[in-house]
Amino acid sequence: MKAKDLIVPLQEYLKPENTLKEAANLLRIAQRGEEKIGVKALPVLDESRKLIGILSIGDILKAVYPSYMYLMELGNFAWDGMVETFAKKATDKKVKELMTRSVITVTENSTLMECVDHMLKNNVKRVPVLDKESKVSGMLYGDVFYEITKAMLDENTEGRK
Amino acid sequence: MTYEAVTASTQVVMGYSFWIATGIFLIAYAVIVSEKVHKTVVAIFAASLMIVLKILEQHEAFHVEELGVDWNVIFLLIAMMLIINLMRPSGIFEYIAIKSAKWGRGEPFRIMAIFAVVTAILSALLDNVTTVLLITPVTVLIADALEIDPIPYLISCALASNIGGTATLIGDPPNIMIASKAYLTFMDFIYHLTPIVIVLMVVYLLTIKVIWGGKLRTKDSLKKRIMEMDERGAIKDPVMLKKSLFVLALVLTGFVFHGVLHLQPATIALFGAGLLLLLSKTHEPHHILSEVEWSTIFFFIGLFIIVGGVVKVGLIKWMSVQILDLTQGNMFATSMVVMWFSAFASAIVDNIPYVATMNPLVIDMAKQLWPDLSGFQLLHNPDLMPVWWSLALGACLGGNGSAIGASANVIVIGLSEKAGNKISFMKFMAYGMPIMIITVAISTVYVWLRYYLIRI
Repeated sequence: MKAKDLIVPLQEYLKPENTLKEAANLLRIAQRGEEKIGVKALPVLDESRKLIGILSIGDILKAVYPSYMYLMELGNFAWDGMVETFAKKATDKKVKELMTRSVITVTENSTLMECVDHMLKNNVKRVPVLDKESKVSGMLYGDVFYEITKAMLDENTEGRK
Repeated sequence: MTYEAVTASTQVVMGYSFWIATGIFLIAYAVIVSEKVHKTVVAIFAASLMIVLKILEQHEAFHVEELGVDWNVIFLLIAMMLIINLMRPSGIFEYIAIKSAKWGRGEPFRIMAIFAVVTAILSALLDNVTTVLLITPVTVLIADALEIDPIPYLISCALASNIGGTATLIGDPPNIMIASKAYLTFMDFIYHLTPIVIVLMVVYLLTIKVIWGGKLRTKDSLKKRIMEMDERGAIKDPVMLKKSLFVLALVLTGFVFHGVLHLQPATIALFGAGLLLLLSKTHEPHHILSEVEWSTIFFFIGLFIIVGGVVKVGLIKWMSVQILDLTQGNMFATSMVVMWFSAFASAIVDNIPYVATMNPLVIDMAKQLWPDLSGFQLLHNPDLMPVWWSLALGACLGGNGSAIGASANVIVIGLSEKAGNKISFMKFMAYGMPIMIITVAISTVYVWLRYYLIRI
């Protein structure tokens, strides 16, 4: 099993100049296969369709989370409406300000274990897949997990035989 | 011996090694000020050069008190960082900060004043850098809750921490360094510096009242947000909290009596850190150890060696001769020059390298003035004591003079930049410099009155 077998071909992507509002909307309604069920991350491509970053729901959460809250345990003292206030402030920010720039990628020919290796070591669950010309050909979402569970179930069925 | 005879007997030989050491020292300090390379990297590299180029023997750098690393300072810093890092997860600092905001009943200026006082007290008892790290995030949260600009709160906290830190031996790194070199005890600082710092805090509160008192406004509906916060929710680990407070109380008591007990402050702090580590029952001390600010620690280590190099070749002695020339050996004039020069120098350079240089300079000066004395009698000569206090006051209060004057300022500015409210260099200075001048001016009157007029 290789990355290309699990890939969700690239249908939608973000541009660095998109606003956070546009990005959030696209993530919500992005096509995945036939359906518009939304995705949890989209690659950010420049004009020459080169990969320059990735914007995930994690990045959007970070955009509404004030950085000082990382420094202390202040979650208990937040008030109702705080996220909404920060979200309003963040709507016009650009994707390029918020995206993750160092993107973990795999190639179409990466093995399943290589994908798992990248995901675990870098703590990411959505990985762009690059073709031979280093262009993004699609995304690898959590789908590898389905393959892994399938492998487990197959083994069990074999065991029963 | 006349004053002229003294200077004549202390000619410095400006040979090959003098210029190499001076060159390393000046270039290192210039690069540190320029911030082109991280200050710790500069300090470690320049220190190693001092040894590689045979200005200092390794033995002198590592083991000789007058020339090398001051381990008393290093271990005191490490131990205090360990104690605070062990205390932090208990939630005590969040508790104190939220409780303070509620004391302020959601009134913007009342909260600012209470935060300034709490910051000053914590800075005196812990150290000002840690305090700022622990208070400012809550400060910004409170300002956000009240929907007012957090910048005045951040600036006020930084300034208050530098004033409060001046009060005690452990409050501000310059004091730790001065205490170690001059054999001053915790109680010496309480007796000589705490009274004036209390006066300075009162003046500071009046000043911020004038600056910000009328400008900070909020709505009653927003004040409710503060009053609805439940500070008890901050306490994550009540058992560890009790242990921490017990050890902290023990350490502070130990500091009060360390002179009587003949134990160095570093010993007391290390004992506290060891005890709290033991009580925490941690099986993974490497987590807590890794949170020690090693970058700061190695900055100190590097600086001690760099300064040791220029002490050995005589640059510091040459500088002390220049100061004595200027003041003609008049001790009041010397105190004043030291205080005001220290204040402005600390505003431009980090006050840590500045004091690392000034300590041996004051000692050299004393040696020239009283060549027959040595050790404790030399360093505690009644005529020299006001110079030490002037150095401490100037260097600590001078930290307020600019955005880079003290580590606390740098932290506050970094935090506000991340939060999207950049405090520019000039904006900080617009508040910091006048506060510095007011506090140093009052200290000038204090030193003159106490040590040269009333003489107590």
